[in-house]
Amino acid sequence: MSSDPAIPSSNDKELVARTQGGDPGAFDELILKYTPRLYGLVYHMTSNHEDTNDLLQDIFSKAYRSIVNFRGNSSFYTWMHSIAVNMTINFLKKRNRRQHPSLNDPDSNIENDPDFIAATSNGDPTKEVSIHELQKKLNASMQKLSHDHRIVVTMFDIQGIPHAEIAKILKISEGTVRSRLFYAHRQLQNSLHEFKRN
Amino acid sequence: MILMETGNGMGHEPMHKIIKLKRYEKPPEGYYEDFLREFHRRQRAEMLAPSLSAMIMERLSGLIPELRVPAMAFACVAAVAMIVSVAIIRDTPRQTIPHAYSVSYAQPRPYSQAPVTIQNMQPVSLRVDADPQNQPQAAPILFPPSYLLQAPLATHESPLSF
Repeated sequence: MSSDPAIPSSNDKELVARTQGGDPGAFDELILKYTPRLYGLVYHMTSNHEDTNDLLQDIFSKAYRSIVNFRGNSSFYTWMHSIAVNMTINFLKKRNRRQHPSLNDPDSNIENDPDFIAATSNGDPTKEVSIHELQKKLNASMQKLSHDHRIVVTMFDIQGIPHAEIAKILKISEGTVRSRLFYAHRQLQNSLHEFKRN
Repeated sequence: MILMETGNGMGHEPMHKIIKLKRYEKPPEGYYEDFLREFHRRQRAEMLAPSLSAMIMERLSGLIPELRVPAMAFACVAAVAMIVSVAIIRDTPRQTIPHAYSVSYAQPRPYSQAPVTIQNMQPVSLRVDADPQNQPQAAPILFPPSYLLQAPLATHESPLSF
């Protein structure tokens, strides 16, 4: 497993082995460990909290049923993310145009983030953009992206997963990851054109 | 405000910074603990709720004893099916004319000649010129003419020598 901080690197192998040996408590530990990361992945793809919750339950349920077949050819992290990505994309294809965003409130810490301050005010109170306005804009821009582009933006920009790991999860080349990011950023740039430095 | 640079691939850092702000969108407090409890509840519900195939099997197993079909009835049905299939196979003509050929196929007309009796019979020769009225003048041809490909003459000269 990579030593990158974005990727949890602890006793996954042991927990997987214990789960395969019939210890459900070990899988509980895996759930607690991976839920926050996978929640982010699914939530930023669906833009809906309730859908994310249901989908995440299905993802862990499938992982629990399939873990006996997990041979460790890839890391558990990669395997788990692959399941989540595939199920999320299948879900989005079925959901099609039924779009009812149900967004979570941003953490209050966002107000102290220098990037947020720079993006929203630039010291001019008359031009200040509310958190919710920014959130709405970001969400709308993300939803305009194709599933393939949105998934790489979610994993790279929001979750901080390195290109190489994204390539493994999506079973594509690193070059393809970079290319998709480039085009996704360009599209987002057009959507968020109002957030420009004067 | 953050500059949205265009063009080269290095100009996407500002975009990365803005998108990164979505990290602050978090589920309600205590969500992750509740999630595990919900997972356990669903697992138990899944175990208790029978699957569709299990339900069908259960229904069938419940239905068959109610029918009270004697055990030998199945053997009788199997035997009858076997007899019927053998009869169908035997009745099927061995040489069937495919439908595609039936248009051009003509039934042979019955011969109108008188029946052959032992008195009318004459010796038959396999010779081609065997005609009882004309006796052969030249050497008899014993076999029907055959055609042989003429082999080229063997020569030691090169055929393309100039």
